[in-house]
This record gives sequence, structure tokens and C-alpha cells, in this order.
Amino acid sequence: MMIFFIIRRLIMTVFLLLLVSMITFAIFFLVPRLAGQTSYQLAAQYVGRNPVPSEIKQMEVKLGLDSPLYLQYGRYIKGIVLGVHYSDGTNVSYCPFPCFGYSFRNQQPVWPQLMSDAPVTVSLAIGAAVLWLIGGVAIGVLSALRKGTFFDRLSMGVALAGVSLPVFFTALLSLTLFSYKWALFPNVHYVGITSNPLQWARNLVLPWITLAFLYAALYARITRAGMLETMGEDYIRTARAKGLPERRVILKHGLRATLTPIVTIFGMDLGLLLGGAILTETAFSMPGLGQFTILAIQNQDLPEIMGVVMLASFFIVIANMIVDILYTVIDPRVRI
Amino acid sequence: MKRRSTIAATAAGAIAALVISACSSGGSTTSTGSSGSANTGAVAFNAGISSIVNPSTHKGGTLIFDDSSTPDSFDPGNTYYAWVLNFDRLFAMPLYTYKSCAGNCGLTLVPDLATDMGTQSDGGKTWTFHIQPNVKYENGQTVTAADVKYAIERTYDRSVMANGPSYYQALLTDPTYKGPYKDKSAAGLTAIDVPDATTLVMHLQAPFADLPYVLAFPNTAPVPQSADKGSNYQLHPLSTGPYMFQSYQLNKQLTLVPNPQWNPATDPQAKQLPSKIIVNLNVNAADIDNRLLAGDIDIDAAGAGVGASAQSRILSNPTLKVNSDDPINGFGRFAYLDTKVAPLDNVHCREAVEYAANKVTTQTAYGGPIAGGQIASTIDPPNIVGYQSFDLYEALSKPTGDLAAAKQQLAQCGQPNGFSTNLAYRSDRLQETAAATALQASLAQAGIKVTLKGFPSGTYYTNFAGAPAYVHSHQLGIAMGGWGADWPDGYGFLDELSNGNAIVSTGNTNIEELNDSAINAMFTQSSNLTGDARTAVWAKIDKQIMTDAGILPLVYQKALLYRNPNVTNVYVQTYYGMYNYAVLGVKS
Repeated sequence: MMIFFIIRRLIMTVFLLLLVSMITFAIFFLVPRLAGQTSYQLAAQYVGRNPVPSEIKQMEVKLGLDSPLYLQYGRYIKGIVLGVHYSDGTNVSYCPFPCFGYSFRNQQPVWPQLMSDAPVTVSLAIGAAVLWLIGGVAIGVLSALRKGTFFDRLSMGVALAGVSLPVFFTALLSLTLFSYKWALFPNVHYVGITSNPLQWARNLVLPWITLAFLYAALYARITRAGMLETMGEDYIRTARAKGLPERRVILKHGLRATLTPIVTIFGMDLGLLLGGAILTETAFSMPGLGQFTILAIQNQDLPEIMGVVMLASFFIVIANMIVDILYTVIDPRVRI
Repeated sequence: MKRRSTIAATAAGAIAALVISACSSGGSTTSTGSSGSANTGAVAFNAGISSIVNPSTHKGGTLIFDDSSTPDSFDPGNTYYAWVLNFDRLFAMPLYTYKSCAGNCGLTLVPDLATDMGTQSDGGKTWTFHIQPNVKYENGQTVTAADVKYAIERTYDRSVMANGPSYYQALLTDPTYKGPYKDKSAAGLTAIDVPDATTLVMHLQAPFADLPYVLAFPNTAPVPQSADKGSNYQLHPLSTGPYMFQSYQLNKQLTLVPNPQWNPATDPQAKQLPSKIIVNLNVNAADIDNRLLAGDIDIDAAGAGVGASAQSRILSNPTLKVNSDDPINGFGRFAYLDTKVAPLDNVHCREAVEYAANKVTTQTAYGGPIAGGQIASTIDPPNIVGYQSFDLYEALSKPTGDLAAAKQQLAQCGQPNGFSTNLAYRSDRLQETAAATALQASLAQAGIKVTLKGFPSGTYYTNFAGAPAYVHSHQLGIAMGGWGADWPDGYGFLDELSNGNAIVSTGNTNIEELNDSAINAMFTQSSNLTGDARTAVWAKIDKQIMTDAGILPLVYQKALLYRNPNVTNVYVQTYYGMYNYAVLGVKS
């Protein structure tokens, strides 16, 4: 049954990604035309200063901007599915599946650039996710169990601050204090895990904590609210009446029920972050997908923007699929 | 090499630098610069504008640059960014370059790969150049004249090399040449002959005295055809300079190491001091300033100056201030007054704008006198060969505007109560937005009602302010903008701005659409002039543009640069308006 469920979701994923690609393509290629921009004007953006008309025309043809939109879209999808040939001047190279087009700003295929930036974002997102999930849920559970105590008030106060403070503020604050003033983490910059695992971790500590602070606060509040509600349920009273140890009552019966909504938002949050933690990456100058996105937008590099949108959509859809699978583990009623 | 930003440490660095710079008796730590400039200075505010700060021949250490964006390309044939043109000298030897020295000496063009300044014949339509015979690439291969020709040829294919300048198509014969990737003929570009391994003969459509300036772009740095990888050449251009690529992660980080084949005798404008040079790309701009002041990095590669927060920290702290420079960087900020959009097609209406504009408020909007710029009264900034100071519209004597004179001009224009027009600006640029708003407010004082029209900077010149058809149909009488010279003489600065021949349908740089036959004639005549006679023409053209009131000059742009006290041989190369990246070293 599970395998059919996964296959069904994967097929839906393909259709969803196709829809996303159509909408994105329309935004970048159809809307400007509706606003009166010609393909010649579009091409003029990519031939440097003082171009002569023949150069603009040459670029228009090279990028295929002179073709009808449905042909351009068809070529784009064909490239993703079957790969595409592109010329780098001296050679004609083959860009294999999944080829997300060719950046006319960098004169490089998009996919290798995405794959080069993805490890940075994955390192950032996974590390922060572990921190916020463990930290947020633990604080939420403890706060719920000690409702009204100093710990509860303090942790919820900190959580409120975490939710309220924007990442670019906490990031700059942490850099100012821990990198420039006290130099506990000097000269923060990304180092690949394969080149130096210790430096990789050292340089990611501040970004992890900054990002986790925001999310942990949110998770702590949700967990606390969920636990308070669950621990007041009849079946918890029944479990206690049966003589189950309190630890088992909390973890197996209380927390398990609370986890369902947490897993749902965790999947969404992690999926979104894997598509690029834009603010955190920018604040800490981490060359991940978030920075790639910002640069692509600044350069109006449409193939790059399309590529990163598709990849981000893929992460979100896959994360949601995993969440759906996890539901069946956390709440067996879903299988029925 | 890295330092923390404590007062004591910085003070110690400053004192040490003073001691070093005082040691002018020679020795291993003091250099007169192989370029010939012996102008060294103590560590002080603006010392780097006119003198070499921390002169040293110390070798070793790592020099770290950070850039808040990314280069257009590290392929020497495919770049137009000012800082990349400066940086390229570390690994590319063009035919010509700018003399490595402080002050106006840095505007001097000198041979780099070439042996002399070239010989003209055929009434200036043929130029013959010789290159040095013993220059080698990093792989030991000897540079030939054919490699220089090939480097120029590849710039003709704009579908691969879109970013660099395109002067060759306009200057050389054979303008329809498609580039070596499409044209596989043996002759290649027929405008350039290579009679032997060290000689290049270039054929021009018309005489052009500034050709050596054009050949100072890094796109004349030699490229052997066998090593060309088209658009991938940017990932590892074959070095002829003091450094070569060790690794380059596109738009992330570049690492350079010394080129063992480099011979300082053949490349006296560059030095090989640090044992490694790292360029971190796409770094958060605010973070760059903090890292710079903390000593974590050495130079902000873009050379555009520190941000507002760092400015106030530097200027309010004497210890930091002595390590900063505030040069005029060669860029001008303007409001173009369109001579084809009514009522600004009447010169008196344009003169009314010139008089009414409050230059102090626009200067403040651009960042003030330190970070924004110096109030301008001419088109040419002071660091252009041929610059002459004059003040036709009282920009310097009455910088807040002269409303009486403006109203007088409005009356002569037939608009005694003022008029209405639209002003184009780049709405995603904060300073330009503020300047447009300030200009709107000051013109309103004279009855000139300006409606602001914001556009995205990415398409500003291609689709809006630089597209005359759009300008006319949307009545964009005024357009904000900026300009920097491709080379530091009047032709390099003024031609694209004001020559009637430069008006094109998209990407127009003569935004005011000035087509004054007197100006056009002076540009034409200048092609046959040399020396002082040629230099004198630039001031005449500048004055004529201002007489036509086609452009309202606002500021000569300035930038507050910070030099890490750890960096040696630091000075502002006047042409680039930023530190000379080809000669820097580090103390440790």
C-alpha cells in the first residue's frame, strides 16, 4: 500500500512541478510581452554596453527569444527531460537531464551552479533544523509541564522575542558580538564539509543558531499549546489511572499526539529553507541557493531564476511527501 | 595577517607604518616602486590619494579581497567592470596599461605587453605595434602577436563575449567580422595583420588618435587559440601577469598564486608580493565593511567605498580615519536634459533648470561631500586629462540655486510661470531616488513641476531613459544617471555622452540627444590632433555641452575607501579611482 501511495504522490509531484514551471515561465516571458516589451528589447539587456543592432539580433536568435512562447517553453521542458546541446563558443556541449537551461549572464549551464550551491543551503538548513526541532520541542514540552512557573514565563518570553526578531537583525547582532567584538567565531565564511569538517561546523555555528532561534521559538510555542491541550484529554487521564509512568504518559501519549501538526509545519519549513535561506545566507555571506536566487534576480537572469524556483518547488513537494509518509508512523489512523 | 579592530592594535599598526614609511634610506622594506614613482607618504587621511602608503617589498602572506557582488567575467576579453579591469592586471598583460603611481601620474598610459606607443601611417589609418618577445604564459609558452590578434578577434562574438567594450567593430576595418567561433577562415579578422611573431598592424576605418587607450582594455591580453575554451575561459584564463588562477568557484571564490613564468622586467607596472590572493565574491556588503574594519579582509574589491554605517565609524574615529582615503573616483552624477522633449527643447528652459537646481540637496542625497561627491560645475571630473574648471551656471558660487536667474531664463523660454515635465530615475537605487526627489523639490521653487517616473535599473538604459522613442512618447524631459570614462581623457569621457553620432535607439548614452554640429565637428577634428592641441579640445567641448545646457552636472562622485593597515604599497590609481590592485602586498 505504501509503495502505491509514494508512486501516486510522485506522479502528482511531476504535475505540480509542471504547473509551477508554466506559471514561472509565464511570469518571466509572457508578462513582459503583455506589457509591451519586445524580444529584441529583452535581448538588448544581455549584450553589454553600446551594442549594435546586429549584435542584439544575434543574441535574440541565440536565446531563441524570437520564437513563439509555446516553442520556447517546449524547448525549456525538453531540456529538463531530455537534456540540450549548447555552445560555449569553441565547443558544443551536451547538458544532460535535468538541464535547467543556460545562464546568459554567466555563460554557464544552470544545473551545475545549483548543485554547487545546494550543499551550502543543505548544510545550513539541516543543522538549523536539528537544533530548532530538538530545542523547540523540548522547551515547549517542559513549558507545558511547568505551566505558570518562572521557566515557563522565561522560555515563552524568549520564544516571543525569537519569533518577533527578524533574522537579519539577529544575524548582524550575533556577528557583531561573537565575530567582531569577542571574536569567538572570527571571519565567518563557508568551508566545505569535505575540505575541513571542523571548520565547516565552526563557521556554521552562528548561522545555525540564528536560524534555529527563529524557528525554535515558533516550535516551542506550538508544542506548548499542543501539549497543554493534549495533557488535558481524557485518554491521558486514563493512561495515568492505569498506572503508567508519567514519563511514558508524556512521551508516548502526550507528545505523540502533539507531534502531528509539528511534523506538518516542519516539512513545510525545511522544504522552504532547502530552496534557499535567503536572509540568513545573505547576512552571513554563505554562497547557497538563497544568495544564488538574489543574484539571479539582481542580474535578471531568467534561466537561473526558473531553475531555482523549480528546485525550491521540488524540495517543498518532496518534503511534504515525506511528511505524509511520517503521518502513517506517528498516527496509525491515517493508514485506515 | 589578520588583525582585530582594537584601538591599541590599530594604533600600533599606524605607528609601525609611520616608522616604515619614514625609513626612506632604502633597505628591504622600502620601495620606490618599479614604476618609477618614489612618492611615498605617512599613514594619514587621504594620504593614499597622492602618495604610496606603507611602501614595502616584503614578500609572502595572503591578500584577501571581498566583493559584494560578482564580476561580469574574469575572462579579460569579456569584462567592463572598473574593479575587474583593475584586478585583471594581476594575471593579464594588455598591450597598454596605466602607469602604477599615485596622483595624476596614474593617468599616464604606458606600454605593457607592447614595446612602445605604436607608429601611425597612412594618415593615421594604419597603426603598427610591437610586443615584447620574451613574455611567457604560466605554462611556459611564449606570447606571440598572433595571440593578441586572436584575443581581439574573440571579442567580436557578442553571443559569447557579451560584456566587454565593442570599440573594435566601430574603429577597425572589417566591422562585420563574426569572431573566430563562427568565422573559420584562415585570415580571420582582416583588419589586423601579423607579419611576424612580435608585430601587429591594425587598419582603421578612420584616424583615431586614442587607439592606444582602447588597447589598454584587458581584451588585448594575449589568448592562445589552443587554450581558448570560449565562455569557459573565464574559469582559468592563461596568465601572463604576476599571478595565475589556482582555483575559481564561479561567483564564489577566486584564489590566485604567483605565476612562476612571470618576469618583473617585462611587466614593471605590477608586483608579485603576496604568496596568495583570495577574492571572496557575493559577500554581504555590510559584512564586508565590518570585516574590513576588523582586519579580517584587506580590500573591498569593488572600490566603491564603505557604506553609511562604516563611514560614520571611520570619520568619527581618528585611528580608523588615518587609514582611509576619499578620492574623486572619476564618475559623474548627472541629470540629462532632453533637447528633443518640449519645452526642454528650448535652451532657455534647460538653462532655467541649470540655475534652479539646488546642488547641495542633491549632493546630500548622493551621500554628502565625503561619500557622495563634490558639487560639479563641469561634465568632466577633475581626474580627466583636459579638465578645466569653469562655472557657467553658478553651481559653485550659488550652490543652492539662483531662482532669479532661473526665472529670467524661464521668461526667455516663453514659460514665465514655469512648466511641467517628467523625470526618469532608477527606483531601485536609493541615492538616485533621493537625488531625484531633491531635484524635484528644488525645481518646484522656480515653478518647474516635475513628476517622478521610476524604472528598474536593469533595463533603465535599454528600454527607458536610453530608448529615445520611449523618452519622446512618455515626455521624459529629465533623466538621472551617472557616467565614468572608458579612458581618462576628454574623448573617453565626453564622446559617448555628447557626440551626435552616439545617439542610438536602445542603450543610448547620449541621453540628452544633443546633436550640436559644433561639438560633433570638434570630435572629428580631434582625431587628427595630438598633444596639448588635442587636450585643449576637451575643455571646449565640455564648455559647449554646458552652453547647450544638455546636462546638469550634480556631483563628481567620491568614495570613502578604507585600507587595512596590514596592506602595503597602497595608493589610489587615479584612473580607476580605487586602490591599485596590481602592486599590493601585505605585512604579515
